[in-house]
Amino acid sequence: MADPNVELLQGTLDLLILKALSLGPLHGWAIAKRIQQMSREVLTVNQGSLYPALYRLVERGLISSEPGVSPEGRKITLYKQTAAGKRQLADRIESWEAFAAAMRNVIRYV
Amino acid sequence: MSNPLTTSVFARIARRLSYRLNRDRIERAMDDEMRHHVDCEIAERVANGVSEDEARRSALRDFGGIERHKEDGRDARGMRPFDDFARDVRYSLRVLGKNRGFASAVVLTFALGIGCSCAIFSLVNGILLRPLPYSHPDELVALWERNVVRGVDRNVVSEANFAAWRTRSRSFTAMAALTPIPVTLDGSPVERISAAQVSPSYFKLLGAHPAIGRDFTVDDEANGGTNVAILSDALWRSRFGADSSIIGRSISMDGQSFTVIGVMPASFQPPSYGWMTEHPMWLPFGANDRKHDWGRFLHVIARRRPGVSIEQARAELAGISDGLAREVVADKGWSTSVIPLSEQIVGDVRTPLVVVFAAVLLLLVMSVVNVANLIVAFTRRRQHELALRRAIGASWGRLLRQQLVLSGTLGVIGASVGLGIAAASTRILVTLMPPDVPRVAGAQVDSRVLAFGLAVAFASTILFGCASALRGFGPQAKTLDLVAANRATPRLSGAGLIATEVAIGLVLSVIASLMIRSLVKLRSVDIGFETTSVIAGRVSLPTSKYQSVEQGRAFFNELLLKIRASPGVESASIATTRPFACCAPSTTVSDAARPSTKLADAPTTDVRFVDDAYFATLRIPVLSGATFSAIESPDGPARVVISRSFAKAMWNGENPIGRTVAIKLFGTTKAVVIGVVGDIHLADARTPPRPTVFLSTVRFPSTERDIIVRGSGDAGPLLAALRQALASVDPTIPLFRQTSLESAVATTFARDRLTTILLSAFATLSLLLAAVGVYGVLSADVSRRRREIGIRIALGARASSVPNMVLRRALKPAAIGIAVGLAVALLLARFMSALVYGVGVNDPASFVAVTVVLLAVAVVAAIIPAIRATRVSPLEAIRAE
Repeated sequence: MADPNVELLQGTLDLLILKALSLGPLHGWAIAKRIQQMSREVLTVNQGSLYPALYRLVERGLISSEPGVSPEGRKITLYKQTAAGKRQLADRIESWEAFAAAMRNVIRYV
Repeated sequence: MSNPLTTSVFARIARRLSYRLNRDRIERAMDDEMRHHVDCEIAERVANGVSEDEARRSALRDFGGIERHKEDGRDARGMRPFDDFARDVRYSLRVLGKNRGFASAVVLTFALGIGCSCAIFSLVNGILLRPLPYSHPDELVALWERNVVRGVDRNVVSEANFAAWRTRSRSFTAMAALTPIPVTLDGSPVERISAAQVSPSYFKLLGAHPAIGRDFTVDDEANGGTNVAILSDALWRSRFGADSSIIGRSISMDGQSFTVIGVMPASFQPPSYGWMTEHPMWLPFGANDRKHDWGRFLHVIARRRPGVSIEQARAELAGISDGLAREVVADKGWSTSVIPLSEQIVGDVRTPLVVVFAAVLLLLVMSVVNVANLIVAFTRRRQHELALRRAIGASWGRLLRQQLVLSGTLGVIGASVGLGIAAASTRILVTLMPPDVPRVAGAQVDSRVLAFGLAVAFASTILFGCASALRGFGPQAKTLDLVAANRATPRLSGAGLIATEVAIGLVLSVIASLMIRSLVKLRSVDIGFETTSVIAGRVSLPTSKYQSVEQGRAFFNELLLKIRASPGVESASIATTRPFACCAPSTTVSDAARPSTKLADAPTTDVRFVDDAYFATLRIPVLSGATFSAIESPDGPARVVISRSFAKAMWNGENPIGRTVAIKLFGTTKAVVIGVVGDIHLADARTPPRPTVFLSTVRFPSTERDIIVRGSGDAGPLLAALRQALASVDPTIPLFRQTSLESAVATTFARDRLTTILLSAFATLSLLLAAVGVYGVLSADVSRRRREIGIRIALGARASSVPNMVLRRALKPAAIGIAVGLAVALLLARFMSALVYGVGVNDPASFVAVTVVLLAVAVVAAIIPAIRATRVSPLEAIRAE
């Protein structure tokens, strides 16, 4: 079902995840927490959409997943940014800035 | 926002496949990951001062359903398509299992179409499409002499011309001559085989060489030839027990000693055409030669020089033969033919094979159309279920996909059964093939045939998958509205189906009918002699034992005496060749009083050597004068019996008895006409009889003869009696080429008979399919319009109007189908003119009869639905459903 709101959210979430991982590899919950922290507690990731988004990004080769061990010794899956992901992140940030500028112009139009 | 592909398609497919294979591990990893996430949430909440129980509850609640997330996760990984596909296949199998009648009808119909078309294609592939098994086969040609005026296009070649072509032409890298030569293998058992005399370059020209031993060299042919022989693998195994020391061994043939110098490999398949049909052994020219006074007798094969086209070769040879015609009197009027070897070998089976293949393709189309119709009707019947599934959330895409998978499953099952049928029937067809069909041994379901079958199956499956999706999802699948179920849906497809099937059925039936009529006409041709209770066998006297003419004559006289005395024998005669046997001479015969070489005065005539009992034994009518007496003179002027067509051609109406003719045989032989007999077919029923002259075996002795015996009773005992009589005269001489004349004649029909049987089978199947198709359409129609019919009856329609309505529904498109079919049949029948005999390709009787049959089929198929329509009760009209 092509719900435009969901589409927008997917793209935004991808950007957030890519940015979160640009600072180093993390596992799923830590990514959610990092996004929350980077946005100064404004954005909380919907748990249900986090993992599908992660798997989709792996599918498209923008991040990679590998098994790892948590500090507590649990088996976890670590996600890492790839070179392609880094390029995508730059592209998306550019698009987002352009989009935000356009929105600003529309809102402030008199 | 479009998401660019950052990884290649293959990497993604590979990854998805690995997901499928490592399913369990991935599921576990996903499970672990999500549980870890929840545990982290719980830990965080506990760290913020919430109680452990409360923390766990709220964390789980906030996270949402783990299973649902896992499902979304699987979706995101792209594993859904595989899972869905597997599920769809299982579902299809369940549905088919519950509707076994429908499933078997579809599978059978589809398997029939695929099976028949693949079987015939394997024949087409094995015989026509496969390249010849020689190196660069497209460079190989057969060379013939041609005489346009006399109407011979492919005549055997004279020795002189062969030599002249070889030395004078530049277009060929190699040229070889061949001719059959009968030899007797002495020893026990004595065996008579038809060996081949060949030029030393023969095997090299084809690109073949002996498996053991050596090939012929030019020295083998020089100086009258050496007594060497090359064996075929089959003869080496059957007669010499695959003896590994065969090379250098001596074998005795016709009383002479020959040395075996080589054995050809088992895979060697020499070109079979013209008189060259058996290949047990090869000998060089010059060896064991008889005096060939027969003028033209050689088969010639040549290899074109690379870069020389066949047109250039033809032009060059035409120039050379023009030169020869000027130099040599005997070559006046003779030119050349250059035929590609593949064309030479398979040329005359091409037309019947192509016609049969076209017919089976039409049958395939019919079967696919029927299958599509069956699936559409089946889908329509399941509207309710589809609507239900739609109501509980299945998407259109999903339903469509399931429909395609269902069609695909049916297609796969049908195609597998069909290919199995094809393999079995190909094997059966190969055994049924008449012996004169070339290259049959290679006809099998090989990779090309499989590829053809799979391609056809794939294309058809897609076709009826789409058809069922497009037409099967009627409006009532959109809602659960069952009132709508009775609304009439567009009628065009049903009418179109009836018209198509009737048209194809008509075309196939016309083709079959033309073949049947022509076969009947062929078999009723008066061949000029009677074959019932007549047998024939051949003997050849070894010249070592029968050196003088008297000895030979005495032998045959004693043999005839003995066989005539056998019980059950009515008459017996000897002849140099019986009718319907190969390889007998023909030459020009003219009136001695006005010698001429013009065609009108010197027709090409068949020459036969017979004895006094020949005409009586074969019951050939004597029209005037007399035939040979029992005491013909061995010397003195020759006497000749002529055929009616010869008398007509030469002296049209005037009395021929007493006139002298000049026969261009043994130089020029003059003979006095003593009688006229009826025409006989000497080769087959199709070829009209040529003028024929008969000379006496007493006057022209030979050591090789056919013995023809007429008796009361079956062929078996007669042949046994002949063998016994022969054994009592000279037990060392075998009887070969034993046959009853009836079966010899029947063999010449074998190919036509097989073609007719195949085409009739396809026509019958097509009529069946058409009936089933029409019945299906009408039956579905009646079911769909029950309400309307009920209303009509309730409103007082006449009792006959309801079945009439059904019949009209059948007959209108049937009429269109018949019209289209007739037009197509008239067009296609033109291609069959080479096959039919005695009937025009526009034979009105066939067309009319077939039209009537097709109409009858449509009516018969309409009967049951019509009866069902009359039984609809008017209460249907007032029911709310």
